[in-house]
Amino acid sequence: MKRWLSVILSTYFILVSFTATAVTVEDSKGLFTLDYQPKRIVVLEFSFADALAAVDVSPVGIADDKEADRVLKEVRDVIGSWTSVGTRSQPSMEVIASLKPDLIIADISRHEAVYADLQKIAPTLILPSRRETYEDSLKAAAIIGKVIGKDQAMQARLQQHRKTMAQYAQQLPQKIEVQFGVARDDALFLHTKDSYAGGVIHALGLANAETGRDDTAYRQTGLEQLVAINPEYLIIGNYVTPSIIDKWRNEPLFSVLQAARQNHIYQVNPNTWSRCRGIMAAERMSQDLVDILVP
Amino acid sequence: MRLVSCFFILGFLTLLLIITNLLFGAVSVPLDTIVDAFLDHTNPNHFTIHEYRFPRIIIALLVGAMMALAGALVQGVIRNPLASPDILGVSHGAGLAAVIYMTFFPDAAIEWLPLVALLGSFLAAIVLWRLCGQHSTTVKLAITGVALAALYASCVDFLMLVKPLEINNALLWLTGSLWGRGWTQLSLLLPWLVLIPAALWLAKPLNLIHLGDEHATSLGTHTNAVRLAALAIAVGLTASCVAICGPIGFLGLVAPHLTRKLVGGRHQALLPATMLVGAILLLLADLVARTIDPPIELPAGIMTAIIGAPYFLWLLLRSK
Repeated sequence: MKRWLSVILSTYFILVSFTATAVTVEDSKGLFTLDYQPKRIVVLEFSFADALAAVDVSPVGIADDKEADRVLKEVRDVIGSWTSVGTRSQPSMEVIASLKPDLIIADISRHEAVYADLQKIAPTLILPSRRETYEDSLKAAAIIGKVIGKDQAMQARLQQHRKTMAQYAQQLPQKIEVQFGVARDDALFLHTKDSYAGGVIHALGLANAETGRDDTAYRQTGLEQLVAINPEYLIIGNYVTPSIIDKWRNEPLFSVLQAARQNHIYQVNPNTWSRCRGIMAAERMSQDLVDILVP
Repeated sequence: MRLVSCFFILGFLTLLLIITNLLFGAVSVPLDTIVDAFLDHTNPNHFTIHEYRFPRIIIALLVGAMMALAGALVQGVIRNPLASPDILGVSHGAGLAAVIYMTFFPDAAIEWLPLVALLGSFLAAIVLWRLCGQHSTTVKLAITGVALAALYASCVDFLMLVKPLEINNALLWLTGSLWGRGWTQLSLLLPWLVLIPAALWLAKPLNLIHLGDEHATSLGTHTNAVRLAALAIAVGLTASCVAICGPIGFLGLVAPHLTRKLVGGRHQALLPATMLVGAILLLLADLVARTIDPPIELPAGIMTAIIGAPYFLWLLLRSK
């Protein structure tokens, strides 16, 4: 009798403890429930690694395109070493499986096609990352905080983040027009107000340049179009040097740009500004802007 | 005798590649544990073998064989060594449909992509058919097909330039890849296997067509009907493969060529042999794509092009 009682009681407590730790959140595929605190997490985008690092959690695997340097330095300093699971566009399922994860965080834009396969390896939280806005990214971080059992820490970190951003905003001149773009050898892509970088610029009280009718986050722009947009400040991430901007410098039309005339063209790390998104990335970008714009 | 040994070697190579594909990847699985990993759910490699490598190998096998078979049929009908299913504009039509779908419905479910691509293929085939009609020469058919393919390709380029980054997934699909293809995709492919015996049945009439229309007709072949059937089967084979894996370039062109060098031009031998060669090429391409720089996976379509293009150049230089 006593034995039975203990069995029933312990079962009861186990059940209670499960329901106590079970969290349900809404991800891009509907409701997602996890009834344990994940210990081995694999993330398939940099923004998710950023969210984990923000609350001192280290992933066991990152889809880092096999280039560890692509992970933001601030994030790397927190999370220590990890295993690369290949490219973000085609992560290696075999390596993910071999890491025996208990949670996978995937990007709806890149990994929807393999969502079912990922689910067979481990519970998969699927959220927007690529093409997400700044506010979306903070929301995704809050969801990740809940799922990994660090809700409070994440909320605190987000609050601190808002404060940090407000402090940066105070240091920066207000309402000036700042436009970010990534330059390749043969093309310039402006990140519009709908992009992640555009959102960070807006959050800092700066203005995005009016890039025209387009509703897409990234817009390929020619020299003539750039002159028409004519931003006050031009922040460029060069994927290669010399980039197309360096080639344009020799063209007479380039000197018409007010940013060129006033020497308001600056360079930033394209990886940080274009590939990394998240709490720590936004703070890094804001620091870059303060370094550039505050004399 | 030479034929038998050729088939024996090809079959052996296929088997060897299947086993190699099972063993190697980003994670190597020892040979003696493969059966156990396949059957036992608790085996640590169960996912890798059962859910991942095995269905992918079967898909590579089938797609390689079907694409090559389609290529051999088209070459048999057009009687031009440069012919391939690509000149029917079918895979480009599928590509265009897929890109339109991904561009204008970015939030739409990705599960529908194979169906959309399939519809695109068949639409492209119907357009070609309407333009050429039943009694046109094969040259007209080929040139019309090439022109249409170029048109579709330029539409794809246009869309990709207008909406550059939304299309990244489409770009991945357009290079042709076996990544993420599993049991679901395999089950979509299976119904199309009925086309294979139908194609093999056309072997004899295709031999006769090779003699020229007049000879073939006088020997009792309905040349137009055979041509139509062969092309329709080639369209079906290509469309189903492209819908699953994206257009895997060069396979339909190179495999029949290579096979013709090995077993000659008789379709009774050529058609089955080319299926084996196609399967071997795609299995090899995917093996290289997966193991060249793990954990990075390259699209198999790039590998077939890397193998295919130099082979073609070599062929051209030798034939001088």
